[in-house]
Amino acid sequence: MSTEPQLKLQAFLDGELPEREAREILAWTQRDSAAAGLLAELRNTRAAMAKSGPHLSLPESREFFWSKIEREIRRLEPGEKATPEISFFAALRRLLLPAGALAALAVAGLVLHFHGSKPVADNLADADATSVETTLASTDATTYRDASEGTTLVWFSPAADASPVPDKKPTAIN
Amino acid sequence: MSGQNYSSTDDAALVKAARRGDLGAFEELVFRHRDQIYARAFSMTRHEEDAVDLSQEAWIKGWQRLGQFQGESSFTTWMTRICINLCLDHLRRQKKYRADSIEELNDESGGVERQMPVVTVNPTAGLERAELRQKIDGALGQLSAEHRTVLVLHEFEDLDYKEIAKTVGCSMGTVMSRLFYARRKMAALLADLRKEK
Repeated sequence: MSTEPQLKLQAFLDGELPEREAREILAWTQRDSAAAGLLAELRNTRAAMAKSGPHLSLPESREFFWSKIEREIRRLEPGEKATPEISFFAALRRLLLPAGALAALAVAGLVLHFHGSKPVADNLADADATSVETTLASTDATTYRDASEGTTLVWFSPAADASPVPDKKPTAIN
Repeated sequence: MSGQNYSSTDDAALVKAARRGDLGAFEELVFRHRDQIYARAFSMTRHEEDAVDLSQEAWIKGWQRLGQFQGESSFTTWMTRICINLCLDHLRRQKKYRADSIEELNDESGGVERQMPVVTVNPTAGLERAELRQKIDGALGQLSAEHRTVLVLHEFEDLDYKEIAKTVGCSMGTVMSRLFYARRKMAALLADLRKEK
């Protein structure tokens, strides 16, 4: 008997064959005594194994065995518990934080890109300009720029006061 | 849950407590299933000290990976899989295990399983359970690590051919060949043991 039919016989015993092939193997074992004998041997061995799963006792006391495990766990994770369960919202937050940071970086990059790529003429015109920027009232800041002197002044005002008139000393940035 | 008596707590509740960091609950799980995990390590390595070390390592890994346990299988099945993977790594490191092709294995065994006479009498019929276990254990010890592993995974862990192939990292054909050889060899060894008796 060659290898392939022998392995098919075994696959039949283990229920690994499709139905049609299983019927063919069954018919073969009914007409071939050698196949029937081999199938019986394989079946006996399998049954003997099934009845005798290894049942061994650990050759160490509970305390001794556990002490080594506990020591290693404490060494590996000092003061920490096992991998904690992560709630759905915590997982979502973990996902969104880096995504939000990336989006902010992308926006900042775009702003810089477009600002930096203004036409040269515009940049030259800006160089001599003096400007006062009143930001939105909610941001509470007013900026004065003098390009010729290379000076920038920023006023910070209380939120309730939207007036560009400074109520504090301005901060000079050169 | 810490400081409690866990003897009447079921495995699922112990696992839940252990996942929250309760080492006492985990100790109870170790106490309940340590023999089973050790037995599996021993059936694969056939070496008492290695089996103790590997089963301890399995419990430590189990603690570290508790967050990944989804409860799709029983806790012991999950732990046993961790243990089996550690044993396979151990055998590979020791070069006692080879994920070889059928051809190489046939060279190793000389294709002898095809020539062995069929054992017509059931060699384990009438044996007491303890005696049967002893004989099976002795015969398992005479198989190579490759053949023993496939036999253990199929007969004791109820893995099918595909699952075994995935676990040990070989083809299904190799699994079938190894299993066939291992069974035939076991039959012959058990028949010899019966004759000796």
